[in-house]
Amino acid sequence: MILCVDPDERARTATVDAFDEAGFETRAASSSATARRVLDETDTVDALVTEYELPDGTGLELVRDARELSPDTACVLFTAVSLDDIDTSEFGGVVAEFVSKDDPDARAEVVARVEQSVALQTQTAYPLPEDEGARVAALERYAANPAELGDSIDRLAELATALFDVDSAAIGLIDAHEQRFLACHGISFDPVDREDTVCTYAILDDGVTVFEDTQDDPRFSGNEGLAAANIRFYASASLTTPDGHHIGTFCVYDDTPRTFSERDRHHLQLLADEAMEQLELRRQLKGGERDV
Amino acid sequence: MSEGYSFASLPLADIRPGTTVLVAGPIHGGARELGLRMLAGESDEGAIIVSTNERSSRIVEECKRVGLDVRADSTAILDCVGDEDQSVPARVLPLSGPSDLTGIGMRFSDVYRDFQGAGIDRVRTGLYTTSTLLTFNDLQTVSRFVHTLVGRIDSVDGLGILLIDPSNHDERAVGTLAQFCNGRIDVRDADDGPELRARGLADQPRDWTPFDPTE
Repeated sequence: MILCVDPDERARTATVDAFDEAGFETRAASSSATARRVLDETDTVDALVTEYELPDGTGLELVRDARELSPDTACVLFTAVSLDDIDTSEFGGVVAEFVSKDDPDARAEVVARVEQSVALQTQTAYPLPEDEGARVAALERYAANPAELGDSIDRLAELATALFDVDSAAIGLIDAHEQRFLACHGISFDPVDREDTVCTYAILDDGVTVFEDTQDDPRFSGNEGLAAANIRFYASASLTTPDGHHIGTFCVYDDTPRTFSERDRHHLQLLADEAMEQLELRRQLKGGERDV
Repeated sequence: MSEGYSFASLPLADIRPGTTVLVAGPIHGGARELGLRMLAGESDEGAIIVSTNERSSRIVEECKRVGLDVRADSTAILDCVGDEDQSVPARVLPLSGPSDLTGIGMRFSDVYRDFQGAGIDRVRTGLYTTSTLLTFNDLQTVSRFVHTLVGRIDSVDGLGILLIDPSNHDERAVGTLAQFCNGRIDVRDADDGPELRARGLADQPRDWTPFDPTE
């Protein structure tokens, strides 16, 4: 969904119409407050297209809030204000696209910019797997509801903590923007933004990923979630579909940096394969029920 | 698709439009010269140079030394250093500093639009240097900026050159930024002068190959 924010009713309507015609679902807002509410209440805002001058703030302030509420959302400043009159210095880290309303084909341009940013997810703060589109499509075929999985996945997580003598274990799926957990043992997670989870990097590679000390890695040293969960050691094996897409991870964590042997890696991969098979069997079972 | 970007007197094959390359090597050991030389193109092309740590006048001198034709109507410098120098024969656009990634990205779009309006469709963009950005911003913020810039360069069929000195950074940070790019050219300062080798780019030298850092 594209959120179009503009205090000028005619301009707003024209922008909304342009996205409607391009086949996008749209929401309109005339103020920062309304836009923030939409960003807060839904997790389906693919792109935020905002004027710079808003009655209750600036477009850049709104983009800064969007980065907090929905970090992957593609943000575009679509404005009649000249760039010479926009002070970006206080917003250097938010990153947004800029399209001038003075462009001859301004609305075609902003639609094209959004189409590209959304399709290729070019505003994420993390690299995407090469098969990202197919990966997310594959993920949708697997159980999204942990309750349907019964206790089998929980048991695997518990076994993992005992096997590797670690604090905790978790099994999660990584969708387009978040990691959602199917089972946790010794730890509890709400869904985590993809830019804040170590698994985002783990699914880029095949096999088992080990970070002996996450504090030692520039990608995670400032990660507040890891600090809050007291995670220093991280190892995971990908949950890989039969056609080769990494849809999630089987992770183990500890509060102390440590090593992980080849034998440990092998065992973690076995556990991940077992968890994946549980997901696969349930998918087939659901498919079978539909066929009856 | 339009023709590839060519590199006169460098041991590099043409590069497909829409490509961004990470040029990684010692700044004073040939990498900077290579990065700037890769911006030199045909007379109908434009160049956008993001200067994070050198004054515009200095960058222009360097450009001239490596054979880049600097002209106000087709060369723009996004200047993060300040000290606006009116005598520079390029369009200089001041930014508040290397931590203003939002400003750099927006200025890039704005200048590109101006070039396009003037009939310049082929634009080479150089970021000198990505290392400075990593010094002033966290990796995640630089990642978002680089990802967005690479996406823009792709969509306008441009050529992007991001310069980084890997000796200043953790290799995992460099590796992460390389993942946003289409390919990487490593530079090393060998006994007989600088050498380059390419990764992830079609038809480019995979073994260390000498190159001349000046024209």
